[in-house]
Amino acid sequence: MTTTVERPAEIVPRQPASAGREGWVRRAPLLPALIFTIIVTQLPFMFTIYYSLQSWNLVRPGGPQFVGLDNYVKVFTDSAFRGVAVNTVVLTAGAVLISMVLGLAFALLLDRQFRGRGFVRTLLITPFLITPVAAALLWKTVLFDPTYGLINFVLSPFGVGQTDWISTFPLTSVMVALIWQWTPFMMLLTLAGLQSQPHDVLEAARVDGAGSFAIFREVTLPHLRRFIELGIVLGAIYLVNTFDAIYMMTQGGPGTASANLPFYIYQRAFLGFDVGQSAAMGVVVVIATIIVSTFALRLIFRSFQTEEG
Amino acid sequence: MADVVFDHASRVYTVGAKPAVNRLDLEIAEGEFVVLVGPSGSGKSTALRMLAGLEEIDDGEIRIGGRNMVGVPSRDRDIAMVFQNYALYPNKTVGDNMAFPLKMRGVDKATQQEKVRAAADILGLTDYLDRKPKALSGGQRQRVAMGRAIVREPQVFLMDEPLSNLDAKMRVSTRTEIAAMQRRLGVTTVYVTHDQVEAMTMGDRVALLADGKLQQFATPSELYDKPANAFVAGFIGSPAMNLFTLPVSAEGVRMGSSELRLPREVLSRIGGHERVTLGIRPEQWAVADGVGGHGSSSGVKAQVDVVEELGSDAYLYAHLDDEAQTAVVVRTAGRSGAHRGDQIVLTPTSEELHLFDADSGDRL
Amino acid sequence: MAAPTTERPASTSETRELAPAHRGNRAGPALLTVLTWILGIGFFFPILWMVLSAFKKETDAYTSPPTLFFTPTLEQFQTVFSSGIGPYLLNSLFATVMSTVFVLLFAVPAAYAVSLRPVKKTQDVLFFFISTKMLPVVAAIVPIYVVVNNIGMLDNIWTLVVLYTAMNLPIAVWMMRSFFQEVPKELLEAASMDGASLWRSMREVVLPVVSPGIAATSLICVIFAWNEFFFAVNLTAATAATVPVFLVGFITSEGLYFAKLCAAATMCALPVVIAGWIAQNKLVQGLSFGAVK
Repeated sequence: MTTTVERPAEIVPRQPASAGREGWVRRAPLLPALIFTIIVTQLPFMFTIYYSLQSWNLVRPGGPQFVGLDNYVKVFTDSAFRGVAVNTVVLTAGAVLISMVLGLAFALLLDRQFRGRGFVRTLLITPFLITPVAAALLWKTVLFDPTYGLINFVLSPFGVGQTDWISTFPLTSVMVALIWQWTPFMMLLTLAGLQSQPHDVLEAARVDGAGSFAIFREVTLPHLRRFIELGIVLGAIYLVNTFDAIYMMTQGGPGTASANLPFYIYQRAFLGFDVGQSAAMGVVVVIATIIVSTFALRLIFRSFQTEEG
Repeated sequence: MADVVFDHASRVYTVGAKPAVNRLDLEIAEGEFVVLVGPSGSGKSTALRMLAGLEEIDDGEIRIGGRNMVGVPSRDRDIAMVFQNYALYPNKTVGDNMAFPLKMRGVDKATQQEKVRAAADILGLTDYLDRKPKALSGGQRQRVAMGRAIVREPQVFLMDEPLSNLDAKMRVSTRTEIAAMQRRLGVTTVYVTHDQVEAMTMGDRVALLADGKLQQFATPSELYDKPANAFVAGFIGSPAMNLFTLPVSAEGVRMGSSELRLPREVLSRIGGHERVTLGIRPEQWAVADGVGGHGSSSGVKAQVDVVEELGSDAYLYAHLDDEAQTAVVVRTAGRSGAHRGDQIVLTPTSEELHLFDADSGDRL
Repeated sequence: MAAPTTERPASTSETRELAPAHRGNRAGPALLTVLTWILGIGFFFPILWMVLSAFKKETDAYTSPPTLFFTPTLEQFQTVFSSGIGPYLLNSLFATVMSTVFVLLFAVPAAYAVSLRPVKKTQDVLFFFISTKMLPVVAAIVPIYVVVNNIGMLDNIWTLVVLYTAMNLPIAVWMMRSFFQEVPKELLEAASMDGASLWRSMREVVLPVVSPGIAATSLICVIFAWNEFFFAVNLTAATAATVPVFLVGFITSEGLYFAKLCAAATMCALPVVIAGWIAQNKLVQGLSFGAVK
């Protein structure tokens, strides 16, 4: 309408003369990191796919031989693989959820003014910092040892004798150790969430007559939601790859009762020397991870969007 | 020192979108202090940033000292800028902050020291040269930012709302200091603010922008006395000018139940219009008690809603007795004795009424 | 707009006064404090016990019920040293320091590119970096092993340096990006106005401002590199093995010598625990890829 009268010709943004060059100058600092990451993290997966189509066992004579999808057929008919896959889901989901609940509880306790708060926080985060191998060793010997372990000592008044926790409940024992290591991370994350809550909103809720519990449910929990989501996603990313704890505590045993996919694939590759088969498992795991992480990425993406919005 | 020319300078962020700055034309003389003022989103900051080289010039030109600045990077424009949040380098001392532009231009250490000392002297920062910006008050930081600009002796000073982070009192005193310093140094200065009081008190000339377009570029008094359009009239002056869009009658304009007579000379200017926008400043009213009969036939009746006593004078916020209960602001002497609910009669005192085209808003 | 910060402290102190008053009973908060302390100590206790046991004689360590009072001895640490932890410590140190240096060399420019002067598709590049952390390492270990073996880099510490660099790079890019984003844009604009070139404004203005962020990022990379076990156990043997591998080997060679194991585990974990304590405020920022500030 009137705009056409005011602007007889449209003003077009002027491209700076050096646009192309400028673009590359801006991109250049990114390239080393990008190229390095692609070479070191992406190329191996290409090889994995290639190997997964070969029959190749390092201890058997002869080089790799193309066998098509044979390895995949074996993977899906391998009942141990299915059991291990279930273990992986149970271990990851259990450890993530329980450590999130505990972490949230600790965070709420720490989000108050009291004497020695910084010190207690430092104590609580330490399990996360301990080298996982040392932590697993600690649980295996100091805590779970049937004769000399602290757990049996603490429980002895309740008539728990010399239970060998690790051989009786191998998967649960590993999970307990992982929960101990990961609760601090969840706590730090939710604590950061709690402390980023604007004070005026809490004050407004209080003035509006909300009690402590109502404030937590109506104001705090919705605010914490994306911190909790982030904790679950990140915890899952790391915990799916759990290797050290199983290696140290149970060696996946008895049988494959406490093995997860990383450990099982490791066994096949480095103890069974079956390159083709372990590569096929690797591909299956990657595909499963991609499916799960597409959802996970979407969650994270939302967190970053609101962060920047 | 140099003159600055905006010649049809425009900025669009995306093709087809409304330009942030739309064909701006300004000719700023050497040594002049020009204030760009306008509401938020008016394009005043964008215009300044185009001059600074921080935004592209998409159409037209900007010339400093006759040299076209299109495509010239900031660092080659020989200008200095004071940012709203001062943008002091947090890890450098006050002295190093002020010396930085000299250092970047390869000035030798001794000269750097000398110039920083001289600037610090003017700004009263001599005792703070070794401190970090964190250890300074808001007002002191503002001075450091000024200092960093003046040591360079640039061709043009640019200031982007430099007072908006100061408290009210500080703002008033710093305002005078900046204006005085600019006059003494004689450096061409372009100053952006959204505060019309700053604009009116500091600038030799004021450019009022709205919607990316220049509304008026004139001296402060001209802006006040002869606003080019209804927008300028409403923006400059506090409380704002009363603007009424009214039907034109035989001898003047109809205002509520009464008629406001206009001088013949004025009537001839609005001839042919059915409706005009009439502007009357709050101080251009005479107030009479409206209870005891009709004193003046040319007055309009109103009822007082709120009285603001400021000591030296008072503002009456009232509404007319027309259908729309149009709001009106009146400035009277202090302790006027008016109260909420009082019936009053208002008569324009000045012959200098502002009349604008009811559609385009242009001055008639 | 004039002075937005001046009233903040007053309102926060008010909340603190309000909170206990609202809850009414005075015993509640005190009980919660005691509970928090008990949980904190309980959570930490296994670590404390490990450290204490490291100073025990083997006879004091292996007892039931556990011994609380004992004469401390450095005997176990001496045993650990004499069994040759030295080279492993050096390997860990080398792999950790070198990989962290490389991570910074790659991540700082990359983070700069994606934050201060964003290019198109920045978001895509950032999510590519994160997605590499989502793919399970185990799926790549076979080809990595084969390639490393073929180029004769098995049991070579540089192999670990390269892999640890790749492992930590995504976290570092995200974390450094969040630090760069905290640099006010005006600072760079002021520098360019003051006549600084891109390189000089980077060196003189940006880097000093983000240096605490660089320190925090380095600490997190140090923690992960030092603690890494999977690559180390699969790709190294006698010459390039790191401390976690030593610890595993120590168990098999020493059997269940409780106190000695505790001493070895303590030495293995200690450097990183201290680094983590120092970086605890920044830990979340790194581990959440910069999503939580």
